[in-house]
Amino acid sequence: MNFLGYERPDGQVGLRNYVGVVSVMDNCNSVTRAVAAAVQGTVPVTTLFVRGQLGRDLEIAYDTLAGLARNPNLAGIVLIGLEPVTSEEVAQRIRPCGKPLEVVNIQLVGGTIEATARATRHAARMVREASRQRRTSQPLSKLTVGVECGGSDTTSGLASNPSIGVVADHIVEGGGKVVISETSEFFGAEHVFAERAVSEEVGRQFLDSVLGFEKEVMARGLDLRGANPSKDNIRGGLTTIEEKALGAMAKAGTSPLVGVLDYGRAPREPGLHFMATPAPAVESLTGLAAGGCQLILFSTGVGNPIGSMVATTVKVSGNRNTVANFSDNIDFDVSPVIESGEPLREAGDRLLGFALEVASGALTTSEVLNVRETAISRFEPSM
Amino acid sequence: MTRAIVLNPNDNVATLIDDAAAGAEAELTGEGSGTITILADIPYGHKCAVVALKSGTDILKYGQVIGRATADIAVGDHVHIHNVEALRARGDR
Repeated sequence: MNFLGYERPDGQVGLRNYVGVVSVMDNCNSVTRAVAAAVQGTVPVTTLFVRGQLGRDLEIAYDTLAGLARNPNLAGIVLIGLEPVTSEEVAQRIRPCGKPLEVVNIQLVGGTIEATARATRHAARMVREASRQRRTSQPLSKLTVGVECGGSDTTSGLASNPSIGVVADHIVEGGGKVVISETSEFFGAEHVFAERAVSEEVGRQFLDSVLGFEKEVMARGLDLRGANPSKDNIRGGLTTIEEKALGAMAKAGTSPLVGVLDYGRAPREPGLHFMATPAPAVESLTGLAAGGCQLILFSTGVGNPIGSMVATTVKVSGNRNTVANFSDNIDFDVSPVIESGEPLREAGDRLLGFALEVASGALTTSEVLNVRETAISRFEPSM
Repeated sequence: MTRAIVLNPNDNVATLIDDAAAGAEAELTGEGSGTITILADIPYGHKCAVVALKSGTDILKYGQVIGRATADIAVGDHVHIHNVEALRARGDR
């Protein structure tokens, strides 16, 4: 089983050939958006904060921005910074991937108009250069697939998550990587999932991550019920975080858990990984894309339209009402699993075929409607 | 007839995959069988009890604990946030 992708200098393979216009910090976003609007074939990667962040948060921000830039779906990067020292922090993390990189610093070139002009020229040249590249046949081992859910309901656990799980197993069997995320969405399911760890150490890392996060929630005196399950999850029939978690876990298929990753970190070995991320989809998608996922299979029940700016996102639903009434934002229908007893194996195989078409260039709803966003998680205050 | 899926033989709730009005008969599918009478208007995707549940009983779905009953729940009644509470990440108590 193969797909058609764009080979990058570091050996990774892109499913898309965008030039990324990437902000170093919040005050650069207007230039980033203006450049992306001016040049076809670009995507804007904006960010809030960075300026005033410190410690672990600042490292996460730099690493995540650079991870998004290194994602093989981007053929090249125009980095929009305010001043050169901070820009260099991000640029030095991008350079090892070997892709074309240009840096424009707004303070040094004389303000937003001049920065927009210079960055537009860089982006225009880079897009034309990138357009000369052709897709080539690539094996499943070149795929890193994120599995995500949002706007979940009880059909997510019955149909869309386990269908995605079948695809996840195929990817792992083919030597690829799969990443499941959303730490709090393991509360109540972690004891089942931890049994799949490839070693005692990986199992302990996973449990430490999930239970450590729960301890943090408890220590702050918070009741997770105010946030998760969300109001729409509840309308869709999900009663508790435990119920949601046991359904969400099915996205990861049945293969052993081989690694535990911090937010935005790339998996190094083939197989199934867990990435510690907050549950809200945009933050989670951003972490997955920064970790090198080119493709995200996103299960939705009551309907969540969002996709990643960088990682191509496929919306999968098993809720017949959502498939009918939210169709503008649904890419793939697995409702026959519930409605007519389609075996999960067959629904998953159909989804794999579709996912490889998308990998090879077929566009998704979040791409054509530009329902795409970036949000880097932050864990500390700004100073 | 309204269909309600039981996911594990140990489960004490089923998930409705059709809307049900109070008084409707629901056919248990999956790991369950037979019919039960639905006692409340229950929307598509929501759960009903398949055995009588005392307050304080663990609610089982996927064969796992998904929460605890906060009231007695009769067979066929709606099982949701009004009569079940989550046990995890409860820093409020």
